[in-house]
Amino acid sequence: MISGELELVQRSLEGDLEAWGEIVRRYKEAVFGVAVAILRNRADAEDATQEAFIRAYERLYHYDLSRKFSTWLFTVTANVAKNMLRKRRRPEPRPPIAQVADPAETVWREELHQAVREAVWGLPESYRAPLVLRYWHEMDLAEIAQVLGLRVGTVKTRLHRGRALLRARLAERGVIPDVVQ
Amino acid sequence: MWSSDLEERIREVLAKDMERASESLAGLEDRVIRAIAERAAHPSLWQRMRERWLAAFSTPRWAFAGGAVLALVLGITLGRLLAPGPVPMSAFAQAGTLFAVVDPQAQSVAVVGDFSAWEPIPLSDPDGDGIWTAVLDLPPGRYEYAFVVDGNWVGQDPQADEYVRSFGEYTSVRYVGTGGGA
Repeated sequence: MISGELELVQRSLEGDLEAWGEIVRRYKEAVFGVAVAILRNRADAEDATQEAFIRAYERLYHYDLSRKFSTWLFTVTANVAKNMLRKRRRPEPRPPIAQVADPAETVWREELHQAVREAVWGLPESYRAPLVLRYWHEMDLAEIAQVLGLRVGTVKTRLHRGRALLRARLAERGVIPDVVQ
Repeated sequence: MWSSDLEERIREVLAKDMERASESLAGLEDRVIRAIAERAAHPSLWQRMRERWLAAFSTPRWAFAGGAVLALVLGITLGRLLAPGPVPMSAFAQAGTLFAVVDPQAQSVAVVGDFSAWEPIPLSDPDGDGIWTAVLDLPPGRYEYAFVVDGNWVGQDPQADEYVRSFGEYTSVRYVGTGGGA
């Protein structure tokens, strides 16, 4: 556990909301990252982030202090996000994370970044989530498996498959050469 | 071939997107604390029922029942862990490319790789002798692959031409009809 974190968790267990607020401050971006990897929609991910912290606080007595806190917190977040995904009635929205291109970048770099952005966020959730956790959170495979509730073998397969899909989509757009065996 | 430059682009794009998207998280700490305090002051019917249920089922008899289930799960898990691991075996077959795994304990075996967009292709063991096989008709080329045995990744096939590391784990590489590796 990160220095001071154990104390914050223990104080939170005793009902100290200020301590939990500090946990929220430290982890909110990372938790948001897990939520948006699953939900893709920013507004839904914000809601899921808030709900994840509330639920984690309510279930803090389940947390085993010998385990890595962040993994436990991300697992709670993934469950909240997956529940939200299941309840979502409307079709999965188009990648809203797409941003206005930076005018300072070269045209080629803009196009490449935009193509990569759309390809990543356009992946189905089952491939997108492990990919984002790997490339942005830099989680190892065991942690990704734990957070998403999957076997390590399944995570590996989905990472490879997600990468193959990305490669195919970028090749279709002419961003990278076609794959040659 | 996967480009490390492209992987760098993915990281850059995600880092930028996450940074911009997380700007809306300002003040989240206060919102969370207010929501927790509000729920504590006015618990929902579901929360009240849940707390009563948890209190009712915290008696020792339920702990013993839970312990028995846990012992059963641990016993099965240890049995699987102590069983001999799979011994991958493969050979070149004239009419196709043979992929084989020898594992008498396995319940399901599949091969995943470039040739299937990493979708699992089941191997079969029709006579139940623990030798699982599949013959794939592959055009000449280089193929990365791995086996999945009862959900477990087996990345290193002793009969592979070489191994590569992907996502921190090994996968096997076979060169079909090309005369071998680089």
